[in-house]
Amino acid sequence: MLKIYPIIAVIGLFLSIVAVLRKSPFFNFAGLLIFIYGLLKSAEYIMPALPAQVILMYMAMCVFSLFIYFSIQEETFKAFLEPMRAVLADDNKKFLRLIIVFAALPLFAGYLTYVKVKPTYNPPVSARIVHPEPPSQMDFKGKTMNVLGLENPLRKDTANFAKYVEEGKKIYYQNCFFCHGDDLDGKGHMADAFNPVPLPFRGTDTIAQLPESFVFWRVSKGWRGLPAGSGPWNSAMPSFEDFLTEEEVWKVIMFIYESTGNKPRSW
Amino acid sequence: MRILIAVLLAMCFPVLGYGAENAAGNPEGKKIYDGWCAQCHGYKGDADSFTKDVSLPKPRDFTFGSFKFRSTPSGDPPTSEDLTKVIRNGNPGTSMPPWSRFSDAEVKAIVEHVKSFAPDTFAMEAKPIKIGTPPKASKELIEKGKAEFKAAKCVDCHGNAGRGNGEKGWQDDFKTDWGYGIAPADYTHGWELRNGSSLEDIYRTISVGLSGTPMTSYMDSLSDDKRWALAHFIKSLQLTRQLGLALKVKKTDNLPSKPNDPAWEKVDYMDLPIGGQLMFDTRDFTPVITNVRVRGLYTTKELAILLQWTDKKPNDGSDGKPTDSIRIQFPVKKHEATELPYFFMGTNKAPVNLWQWKASDMDKVFASVAKGHENVEPMEKSDATAMASYDDGLYSVVFKKELKSAKDDPVFEIGKFIPFSITAYDGRNGEENIRGAISAWYYLMMEPPTPLKVYVFPPVISLGVLIVGIGLHKKLRKNKRG
Repeated sequence: MLKIYPIIAVIGLFLSIVAVLRKSPFFNFAGLLIFIYGLLKSAEYIMPALPAQVILMYMAMCVFSLFIYFSIQEETFKAFLEPMRAVLADDNKKFLRLIIVFAALPLFAGYLTYVKVKPTYNPPVSARIVHPEPPSQMDFKGKTMNVLGLENPLRKDTANFAKYVEEGKKIYYQNCFFCHGDDLDGKGHMADAFNPVPLPFRGTDTIAQLPESFVFWRVSKGWRGLPAGSGPWNSAMPSFEDFLTEEEVWKVIMFIYESTGNKPRSW
Repeated sequence: MRILIAVLLAMCFPVLGYGAENAAGNPEGKKIYDGWCAQCHGYKGDADSFTKDVSLPKPRDFTFGSFKFRSTPSGDPPTSEDLTKVIRNGNPGTSMPPWSRFSDAEVKAIVEHVKSFAPDTFAMEAKPIKIGTPPKASKELIEKGKAEFKAAKCVDCHGNAGRGNGEKGWQDDFKTDWGYGIAPADYTHGWELRNGSSLEDIYRTISVGLSGTPMTSYMDSLSDDKRWALAHFIKSLQLTRQLGLALKVKKTDNLPSKPNDPAWEKVDYMDLPIGGQLMFDTRDFTPVITNVRVRGLYTTKELAILLQWTDKKPNDGSDGKPTDSIRIQFPVKKHEATELPYFFMGTNKAPVNLWQWKASDMDKVFASVAKGHENVEPMEKSDATAMASYDDGLYSVVFKKELKSAKDDPVFEIGKFIPFSITAYDGRNGEENIRGAISAWYYLMMEPPTPLKVYVFPPVISLGVLIVGIGLHKKLRKNKRG
């Protein structure tokens, strides 16, 4: 990617140096402003970009202080105003005058006004919380369970581990893969239809961050269990207690961890 | 040029079929296959798998030895590159996704294992057909392709407008060699063309056909330039899908009088991708409608919403199957906050308003209030109306309603983002009630007429700046002379 703002800054600096050498305070002023703008915008390459409002405020302060600086001596101020006067009045600047004063400036002012008065409409944004706060207790088909500290009972039966994972695989491909994907990457063939889009299980920022108890709660309660801040009204995540038994939910959880190489968080 | 080089290279290194020595498969390939392919294609490659009843189209049975997606002449097995391409690109419109996670060596191993399921088929030598340089698209070429589309009887299955609604495609004997029914492709939906949607993909499909299906090879019956012309015409049918979150509805003096009025074509649209209803029993794992196109217009009195979707075989419910239908949903109350009713049929606390149109009652709206999918009350009175048409595979339904709202009506306020969602039903696919293809919440916004100030302020300011400029110019000139 071509980094445009540092280039703008360099051009501004160059312009102001040339202007100093040729004793033209106006172009020195313009060059410095371009330089500062370029610098402020370049900041986004090394830190979070400055908001447009902040840049506008800085620029206004620079215009103001530079203007004071150039107008403090009468001589300098006169030289500062000279290019403007020349464009407005000199006979040999007719063409420049036509372009700048009689065309570009009025059109630019009109454009700025248009941008300002034109109404804009933006649909409401709904934020998404990937890991909503789980409740301390949940209800699974009428059975009350403590979410905190809930453990997967099938993990203790290590002899049947592979069998449970394989059974979990079958459950996954008959209930989950439509949205969460053949490859558990969140890109299932129906994923596009829903908003928010289904989460992937691959990678380190979804199930890898969670204890199995949390996943059990999400799978069992689905959209109904989401707190209001997480937008339950948009979620297509079914409440799987309607379709699966407790054991089946644990099995499918074992499969999604095992097949993505992730480990449940245990701390 | 690149294609020419590829063809020349392909001729220098013919791809040889795999002999019996590979019939045992590839152990590395088997491992990956069992992990990531068997869920659909079966551990034995026979598609007797976990997903056989929850996917449409069904997964390929490799043991059958017939492969649809090839670059080789009809009757020949696919090349290793053909199989690799399917794994890498997936088959759009099916549950076969593109697999990018595996290395080239891993894909090669999978391909070898897949071949071992049909050793007889792959004992033959497979050689791709030559694909020359495609001619440039032109109006004449597309016209020629269109004529060919009729002459070569493509219309019999794919329909006049290429939506897959041809008469022959829906007769009982229209089946695959695997024994199940198959729908002719809808060329307007480029995003779900199984064998790819590029010009070359289409040309290749016409040339070599799709084995095991009624789509035969046209290599011998149509000349090369006719096949390219056809490919150009078919390519020209593809819709440009516009996805988004909000549809802007413009104001007009008169609404188009019919749902298929050409005036609608000039109106801005938004495409809604839709998927099966998976939250409540009975779930719809195999919807066939994938897209609903929405347009809107409003007048001082009324709002009109046009919904259009492809249905290859219309169904009005008279044959014992459910009727085709579409339904639009709005929140009952005005929703200022971002909090909405549940996107599918609302809840007890946050009800939704449903307008349903059915092919069995062409000009009627079934209006109801839903408080969840199990709690739907028909409305006694609603002034929502509908009109509909079915043209060459395309349903067009216009819902209309006065802007003023009564109790239990959605609130249509100009300049506000009004949430809506869609459920579409294909009766032939057995869809009704809560089995259907559903959309997420979207918004429609009736754009207020542009305020006068937008036309007045900018020219006034421009003129002002110009006058100041001229004034300064005059003054400075005078100073200079004086």
